[in-house]
Amino acid sequence: MVSLARTIRSIRRVGLREWWHQMQYIGDAKSGRLVGKDQFGNRYFENLNPEEEVPGRHRWVDFSQHDYNATQVPPEWHSWLHHIRKDPPTEDRVVQNLSPPWKAPWVENLTGTRGAFKTYNTTRPKYEAWQPKITARG
Amino acid sequence: MSLPIFSSALANAGRRAALRPQVGVYACRQIHSSQSVSSPSTVPTSSTDPAVPITQIAKRGSNQLSLETPSNRAEYVLSTLDKIANWARQGSMWPMTFGLACCAVEMMHMAAARYDQDRLGVVFRASPRQSDIMIVAGTLTNKMAPALRKVYDQMPEPRWVISMGSCANGGGYYHYSYSVVRGCDRIVPVDIYVPGCPPTAEALLYGMLQLQRKMRRSRKGVLWYRK
Repeated sequence: MVSLARTIRSIRRVGLREWWHQMQYIGDAKSGRLVGKDQFGNRYFENLNPEEEVPGRHRWVDFSQHDYNATQVPPEWHSWLHHIRKDPPTEDRVVQNLSPPWKAPWVENLTGTRGAFKTYNTTRPKYEAWQPKITARG
Repeated sequence: MSLPIFSSALANAGRRAALRPQVGVYACRQIHSSQSVSSPSTVPTSSTDPAVPITQIAKRGSNQLSLETPSNRAEYVLSTLDKIANWARQGSMWPMTFGLACCAVEMMHMAAARYDQDRLGVVFRASPRQSDIMIVAGTLTNKMAPALRKVYDQMPEPRWVISMGSCANGGGYYHYSYSVVRGCDRIVPVDIYVPGCPPTAEALLYGMLQLQRKMRRSRKGVLWYRK
Protein backbone atom coordinates (compact mmCIF):
# COMPACT_ATOMS: atom_id res chain seq x y z
CA MET A 1 0.00 0.00 0.00
CA VAL A 2 0.96 3.62 -0.38
CA SER A 3 2.83 4.83 2.64
CA LEU A 4 5.49 7.40 3.40
CA ALA A 5 8.05 4.68 4.14
CA ARG A 6 7.35 2.98 0.80
CA THR A 7 7.61 6.28 -1.08
CA ILE A 8 10.91 7.13 0.55
CA ARG A 9 12.22 3.62 -0.11
CA SER A 10 11.24 3.89 -3.76
CA ILE A 11 12.83 7.32 -4.12
CA ARG A 12 16.06 6.01 -2.61
CA ARG A 13 16.03 3.14 -5.07
CA VAL A 14 15.11 4.88 -8.32
CA GLY A 15 16.39 8.40 -7.70
CA LEU A 16 14.65 11.75 -7.57
CA ARG A 17 14.49 12.25 -11.33
CA GLU A 18 12.83 8.89 -12.00
CA TRP A 19 10.47 9.46 -9.07
CA TRP A 20 9.35 12.76 -10.55
CA HIS A 21 8.80 11.05 -13.90
CA GLN A 22 6.76 8.33 -12.20
CA MET A 23 4.63 10.85 -10.37
CA GLN A 24 3.86 12.58 -13.68
CA TYR A 25 2.98 9.46 -15.63
CA ILE A 26 2.14 6.63 -13.22
CA GLY A 27 1.02 8.68 -10.24
CA ASP A 28 2.72 6.46 -7.70
CA ALA A 29 6.26 5.92 -6.47
CA LYS A 30 7.14 2.42 -7.61
CA SER A 31 10.34 0.46 -7.65
CA GLY A 32 11.05 -2.93 -9.05
CA ARG A 33 13.06 -5.11 -11.38
CA LEU A 34 13.37 -3.84 -14.96
CA VAL A 35 12.15 -6.87 -16.87
CA GLY A 36 12.67 -5.55 -20.35
CA LYS A 37 12.13 -2.95 -23.02
CA ASP A 38 10.06 -3.34 -26.15
CA GLN A 39 10.78 -2.01 -29.63
CA PHE A 40 9.04 1.29 -28.84
CA GLY A 41 11.18 1.94 -25.79
CA ASN A 42 8.45 1.23 -23.24
CA ARG A 43 9.94 -0.19 -20.05
CA TYR A 44 8.34 -3.05 -18.16
CA PHE A 45 8.79 -3.60 -14.45
CA GLU A 46 7.92 -6.23 -11.90
CA ASN A 47 8.02 -6.30 -8.13
CA LEU A 48 6.86 -9.54 -6.58
CA ASN A 49 7.35 -8.46 -2.98
CA PRO A 50 3.81 -8.20 -1.50
CA GLU A 51 5.11 -5.87 1.19
CA GLU A 52 6.08 -3.30 -1.45
CA GLU A 53 3.47 -3.70 -4.16
CA VAL A 54 -0.11 -4.83 -3.73
CA PRO A 55 -0.53 -8.12 -5.62
CA GLY A 56 -2.24 -7.10 -8.86
CA ARG A 57 -0.14 -3.98 -9.16
CA HIS A 58 3.09 -5.94 -9.33
CA ARG A 59 3.63 -5.63 -13.09
CA TRP A 60 3.58 -2.25 -14.74
CA VAL A 61 4.71 -0.39 -17.83
CA ASP A 62 6.41 2.96 -18.14
CA PHE A 63 5.50 4.39 -21.53
CA SER A 64 8.12 6.09 -23.65
CA GLN A 65 5.72 8.55 -25.27
CA HIS A 66 4.24 11.57 -23.60
CA ASP A 67 0.83 10.89 -25.16
CA TYR A 68 0.53 7.36 -23.94
CA ASN A 69 -2.27 4.90 -24.33
CA ALA A 70 -2.70 1.21 -23.74
CA THR A 71 -2.38 0.20 -27.39
CA GLN A 72 1.26 1.23 -27.39
CA VAL A 73 2.01 -2.04 -25.66
CA PRO A 74 2.79 -4.69 -28.31
CA PRO A 75 0.91 -8.01 -28.00
CA GLU A 76 3.85 -10.02 -26.64
CA TRP A 77 4.30 -7.65 -23.76
CA HIS A 78 0.56 -7.27 -23.34
CA SER A 79 0.30 -10.98 -22.65
CA TRP A 80 2.97 -10.70 -20.00
CA LEU A 81 1.57 -7.51 -18.48
CA HIS A 82 -1.90 -9.00 -18.13
CA HIS A 83 -0.72 -12.38 -16.85
CA ILE A 84 -1.74 -14.27 -19.95
CA ARG A 85 1.80 -15.67 -20.01
CA LYS A 86 3.98 -16.19 -16.99
CA ASP A 87 7.34 -15.25 -18.51
CA PRO A 88 8.21 -12.02 -20.30
CA PRO A 89 8.87 -12.29 -24.06
CA THR A 90 12.58 -11.85 -23.39
CA GLU A 91 12.60 -15.21 -21.61
CA ASP A 92 9.58 -17.00 -23.07
CA ARG A 93 10.83 -19.45 -25.72
CA VAL A 94 7.31 -20.07 -27.03
CA VAL A 95 6.63 -16.40 -27.74
CA GLN A 96 10.10 -15.96 -29.26
CA ASN A 97 9.65 -18.88 -31.67
CA LEU A 98 6.12 -17.85 -32.53
CA SER A 99 6.44 -15.40 -35.36
CA PRO A 100 4.13 -16.31 -38.23
CA PRO A 101 5.07 -14.96 -41.67
CA TRP A 102 1.87 -12.96 -41.95
CA LYS A 103 2.51 -11.04 -38.77
CA ALA A 104 2.64 -7.27 -39.41
CA PRO A 105 4.57 -4.81 -37.26
CA TRP A 106 2.54 -3.57 -34.32
CA VAL A 107 0.89 -0.19 -34.82
CA GLU A 108 -0.86 1.65 -32.04
CA ASN A 109 -4.37 3.05 -32.26
CA LEU A 110 -4.36 5.75 -34.95
CA THR A 111 -7.84 7.09 -34.30
CA GLY A 112 -8.15 10.80 -34.89
CA THR A 113 -5.23 10.87 -37.33
CA ARG A 114 -5.14 10.35 -41.07
CA GLY A 115 -4.16 6.76 -40.45
CA ALA A 116 -7.45 6.00 -38.71
CA PHE A 117 -9.20 2.85 -39.82
CA LYS A 118 -11.95 3.26 -42.33
CA THR A 119 -13.70 0.37 -43.91
CA TYR A 120 -13.02 0.11 -47.63
CA ASN A 121 -16.25 0.94 -49.34
CA THR A 122 -17.13 1.98 -52.89
CA THR A 123 -20.91 2.11 -52.60
CA ARG A 124 -22.87 5.33 -52.66
CA PRO A 125 -23.95 6.36 -49.16
CA LYS A 126 -27.54 5.31 -48.54
CA TYR A 127 -28.43 8.27 -46.40
CA GLU A 128 -27.25 11.81 -45.85
CA ALA A 129 -26.38 13.52 -42.59
CA TRP A 130 -29.43 15.10 -41.06
CA GLN A 131 -29.79 18.83 -41.62
CA PRO A 132 -32.26 20.00 -39.02
CA LYS A 133 -34.83 22.43 -40.36
CA ILE A 134 -36.98 24.45 -38.01
CA THR A 135 -40.48 25.10 -39.21
CA ALA A 136 -42.55 27.96 -37.90
CA ARG A 137 -45.02 26.91 -35.24
CA GLY A 138 -48.66 27.85 -35.28
CA MET B 1 -3.98 41.85 -40.30
CA SER B 2 -2.15 38.81 -41.52
CA LEU B 3 -5.29 36.85 -42.21
CA PRO B 4 -4.67 36.26 -45.97
CA ILE B 5 -1.37 34.56 -45.10
CA PHE B 6 -3.11 32.06 -42.84
CA SER B 7 -5.90 31.33 -45.23
CA SER B 8 -3.40 30.76 -48.04
CA ALA B 9 -1.34 28.50 -45.76
CA LEU B 10 -4.44 26.51 -44.92
CA ALA B 11 -5.40 26.28 -48.58
CA ASN B 12 -1.88 25.10 -49.39
CA ALA B 13 -2.11 22.47 -46.65
CA GLY B 14 -5.33 21.23 -48.16
CA ARG B 15 -3.76 21.17 -51.62
CA ARG B 16 -0.76 19.30 -50.33
CA ALA B 17 -3.05 16.80 -48.67
CA ALA B 18 -4.92 16.33 -51.92
CA LEU B 19 -1.72 15.77 -53.88
CA ARG B 20 -0.23 13.38 -51.36
CA PRO B 21 0.43 9.89 -52.75
CA GLN B 22 -1.98 7.26 -51.50
CA VAL B 23 0.51 5.09 -49.69
CA GLY B 24 1.67 4.02 -46.30
CA VAL B 25 -0.73 4.71 -43.48
CA TYR B 26 -2.83 6.74 -45.90
CA ALA B 27 -3.28 3.86 -48.27
CA CYS B 28 -6.74 2.34 -48.65
CA ARG B 29 -8.19 5.13 -46.52
CA GLN B 30 -9.60 7.04 -49.47
CA ILE B 31 -12.86 5.77 -50.79
CA HIS B 32 -12.01 6.24 -54.46
CA SER B 33 -8.36 5.61 -55.03
CA SER B 34 -7.27 4.97 -58.59
CA GLN B 35 -3.59 4.82 -57.63
CA SER B 36 -2.10 1.50 -56.71
CA VAL B 37 -1.37 0.96 -53.03
CA SER B 38 2.19 -0.18 -53.69
CA SER B 39 3.37 3.04 -55.34
CA PRO B 40 6.79 4.08 -54.01
CA SER B 41 6.87 6.52 -51.12
CA THR B 42 8.75 7.52 -48.03
CA VAL B 43 5.81 7.52 -45.62
CA PRO B 44 6.44 4.68 -43.18
CA THR B 45 3.62 2.52 -41.88
CA SER B 46 5.13 1.90 -38.46
CA SER B 47 7.64 3.60 -36.25
CA THR B 48 9.61 2.46 -33.23
CA ASP B 49 11.12 5.84 -32.46
CA PRO B 50 9.46 7.38 -29.39
CA ALA B 51 10.53 10.84 -30.59
CA VAL B 52 8.68 10.43 -33.90
CA PRO B 53 5.79 8.08 -33.11
CA ILE B 54 3.47 6.74 -35.78
CA THR B 55 0.69 9.04 -34.59
CA GLN B 56 2.92 12.00 -35.47
CA ILE B 57 3.71 10.57 -38.88
CA ALA B 58 0.05 9.90 -39.56
CA LYS B 59 -0.77 13.53 -38.78
CA ARG B 60 1.68 15.00 -41.30
CA GLY B 61 0.14 17.42 -43.73
CA SER B 62 -3.21 17.45 -41.97
CA ASN B 63 -5.15 20.54 -40.99
CA GLN B 64 -5.11 19.31 -37.39
CA LEU B 65 -1.31 19.44 -37.27
CA SER B 66 -1.39 22.92 -38.77
CA LEU B 67 -3.78 23.94 -35.99
CA GLU B 68 -1.55 22.41 -33.33
CA THR B 69 1.57 24.22 -34.52
CA PRO B 70 1.21 27.91 -33.65
CA SER B 71 2.77 30.24 -36.17
CA ASN B 72 2.81 33.53 -34.29
CA ARG B 73 2.54 35.00 -30.79
CA ALA B 74 -1.23 35.33 -30.72
CA GLU B 75 -1.57 31.71 -31.71
CA TYR B 76 0.92 30.68 -29.00
CA VAL B 77 -1.20 32.43 -26.39
CA LEU B 78 -4.47 31.11 -27.76
CA SER B 79 -3.26 27.56 -28.08
CA THR B 80 -1.98 27.68 -24.50
CA LEU B 81 -5.40 28.89 -23.35
CA ASP B 82 -6.95 26.12 -25.42
CA LYS B 83 -4.71 23.58 -23.74
CA ILE B 84 -5.75 24.85 -20.30
CA ALA B 85 -9.40 24.58 -21.27
CA ASN B 86 -8.82 21.09 -22.65
CA TRP B 87 -7.05 20.05 -19.48
CA ALA B 88 -9.95 21.29 -17.38
CA ARG B 89 -12.48 19.56 -19.59
CA GLN B 90 -10.75 16.21 -19.74
CA GLY B 91 -10.32 16.19 -15.98
CA SER B 92 -14.04 16.34 -15.25
CA MET B 93 -16.01 14.47 -17.85
CA TRP B 94 -19.54 14.09 -16.58
CA PRO B 95 -21.42 11.59 -18.68
CA MET B 96 -25.15 11.69 -19.08
CA THR B 97 -26.05 8.05 -18.83
CA PHE B 98 -28.39 6.93 -21.53
CA GLY B 99 -28.58 3.26 -20.56
CA LEU B 100 -30.97 1.51 -22.91
CA ALA B 101 -30.05 -2.18 -22.74
CA CYS B 102 -27.46 -4.65 -21.50
CA CYS B 103 -24.62 -2.25 -22.37
CA ALA B 104 -25.81 -0.17 -19.43
CA VAL B 105 -24.70 -2.95 -17.09
CA GLU B 106 -21.17 -2.73 -18.45
CA MET B 107 -21.40 1.03 -18.12
CA MET B 108 -22.23 0.52 -14.44
CA HIS B 109 -19.21 -1.76 -14.17
CA MET B 110 -17.07 1.11 -15.34
CA ALA B 111 -18.31 3.08 -12.35
CA ALA B 112 -17.77 0.19 -9.93
CA ALA B 113 -14.72 -0.62 -7.89
CA ARG B 114 -12.59 -2.40 -10.45
CA TYR B 115 -12.44 0.19 -13.23
CA ASP B 116 -13.28 3.01 -10.83
CA GLN B 117 -14.11 5.87 -13.17
CA ASP B 118 -14.01 8.46 -10.40
CA ARG B 119 -10.22 8.45 -10.46
CA LEU B 120 -10.46 10.00 -13.95
CA GLY B 121 -13.02 12.54 -12.84
CA VAL B 122 -15.81 10.74 -14.67
CA VAL B 123 -18.97 11.08 -12.62
CA PHE B 124 -22.39 9.97 -13.82
CA ARG B 125 -24.79 12.85 -13.82
CA ALA B 126 -28.46 12.20 -14.29
CA SER B 127 -29.24 15.70 -15.52
CA PRO B 128 -28.50 16.56 -19.16
CA ARG B 129 -28.08 20.23 -18.28
CA GLN B 130 -25.07 19.53 -16.09
CA SER B 131 -23.33 16.86 -18.15
CA ASP B 132 -21.02 17.17 -21.10
CA ILE B 133 -20.84 13.64 -22.46
CA MET B 134 -23.66 11.33 -23.40
CA ILE B 135 -23.01 7.59 -23.37
CA VAL B 136 -25.62 5.93 -25.56
CA ALA B 137 -25.50 2.42 -24.15
CA GLY B 138 -27.74 -0.04 -25.88
CA THR B 139 -30.36 -0.46 -28.57
CA LEU B 140 -31.91 2.79 -29.68
CA THR B 141 -35.49 2.15 -30.73
CA ASN B 142 -37.61 4.37 -32.90
CA LYS B 143 -39.75 5.18 -29.90
CA MET B 144 -36.77 6.27 -27.82
CA ALA B 145 -35.11 8.31 -30.58
CA PRO B 146 -37.01 11.59 -30.02
CA ALA B 147 -36.23 11.39 -26.32
CA LEU B 148 -32.55 10.84 -27.08
CA ARG B 149 -32.46 13.84 -29.36
CA LYS B 150 -34.29 15.94 -26.79
CA VAL B 151 -31.82 15.01 -24.07
CA TYR B 152 -28.93 15.74 -26.42
CA ASP B 153 -30.38 19.13 -27.25
CA GLN B 154 -30.66 19.93 -23.55
CA MET B 155 -26.96 19.37 -22.95
CA PRO B 156 -24.80 22.51 -22.90
CA GLU B 157 -21.94 23.03 -25.33
CA PRO B 158 -19.32 21.65 -25.59
CA ARG B 159 -20.79 18.18 -25.63
CA TRP B 160 -19.65 14.82 -26.80
CA VAL B 161 -21.37 11.55 -27.52
CA ILE B 162 -20.01 8.07 -26.99
CA SER B 163 -21.86 5.36 -28.85
CA MET B 164 -21.45 2.15 -26.90
CA GLY B 165 -22.00 -1.30 -28.33
CA SER B 166 -23.07 -2.73 -31.67
CA CYS B 167 -26.70 -1.68 -31.34
CA ALA B 168 -25.89 1.98 -30.79
CA ASN B 169 -23.12 1.93 -33.40
CA GLY B 170 -25.16 0.57 -36.26
CA GLY B 171 -28.19 -1.32 -35.13
CA GLY B 172 -26.18 -4.45 -34.42
CA TYR B 173 -28.28 -7.52 -33.87
CA TYR B 174 -31.47 -5.56 -34.45
CA HIS B 175 -30.30 -3.87 -37.62
CA TYR B 176 -33.15 -5.35 -39.69
CA SER B 177 -35.81 -4.84 -37.05
CA TYR B 178 -38.78 -2.63 -37.90
CA SER B 179 -38.54 -0.64 -34.71
CA VAL B 180 -34.83 0.02 -34.19
CA VAL B 181 -32.75 2.99 -35.31
CA ARG B 182 -29.83 1.69 -37.36
CA GLY B 183 -27.17 3.45 -35.33
CA CYS B 184 -27.56 6.36 -32.96
CA ASP B 185 -25.43 8.46 -35.33
CA ARG B 186 -28.60 8.93 -37.34
CA ILE B 187 -29.98 10.92 -34.42
CA VAL B 188 -26.98 12.60 -32.77
CA PRO B 189 -23.40 13.28 -33.91
CA VAL B 190 -21.13 10.65 -32.38
CA ASP B 191 -17.53 11.23 -31.30
CA ILE B 192 -16.40 7.81 -30.14
CA TYR B 193 -17.72 4.44 -31.23
CA VAL B 194 -16.99 1.63 -28.78
CA PRO B 195 -17.38 -1.72 -30.53
CA GLY B 196 -18.56 -4.87 -28.80
CA CYS B 197 -21.73 -6.68 -27.86
CA PRO B 198 -21.66 -5.52 -25.14
CA PRO B 199 -18.22 -3.86 -24.89
CA THR B 200 -16.38 -4.66 -21.70
CA ALA B 201 -16.14 -2.00 -19.04
CA GLU B 202 -12.45 -1.86 -19.93
CA ALA B 203 -13.30 -1.10 -23.56
CA LEU B 204 -15.66 1.67 -22.53
CA LEU B 205 -13.03 3.14 -20.23
CA TYR B 206 -10.57 3.01 -23.12
CA GLY B 207 -13.19 4.85 -25.17
CA MET B 208 -13.35 7.50 -22.46
CA LEU B 209 -9.57 7.83 -22.64
CA GLN B 210 -9.78 8.18 -26.42
CA LEU B 211 -12.35 10.90 -25.92
CA GLN B 212 -9.87 12.63 -23.61
CA ARG B 213 -7.40 12.40 -26.48
CA LYS B 214 -9.96 13.99 -28.75
CA MET B 215 -10.58 16.76 -26.21
CA ARG B 216 -6.84 17.44 -26.04
CA ARG B 217 -6.76 17.99 -29.79
CA SER B 218 -9.30 20.79 -29.62
CA ARG B 219 -7.98 24.24 -30.65
CA LYS B 220 -11.10 26.35 -30.64
CA GLY B 221 -9.29 29.60 -29.90
CA VAL B 222 -6.73 29.15 -32.66
CA LEU B 223 -9.51 28.22 -35.05
CA TRP B 224 -11.40 31.35 -34.13
CA TYR B 225 -8.28 33.48 -34.63
CA ARG B 226 -7.47 31.99 -38.01
CA LYS B 227 -10.98 32.55 -39.23
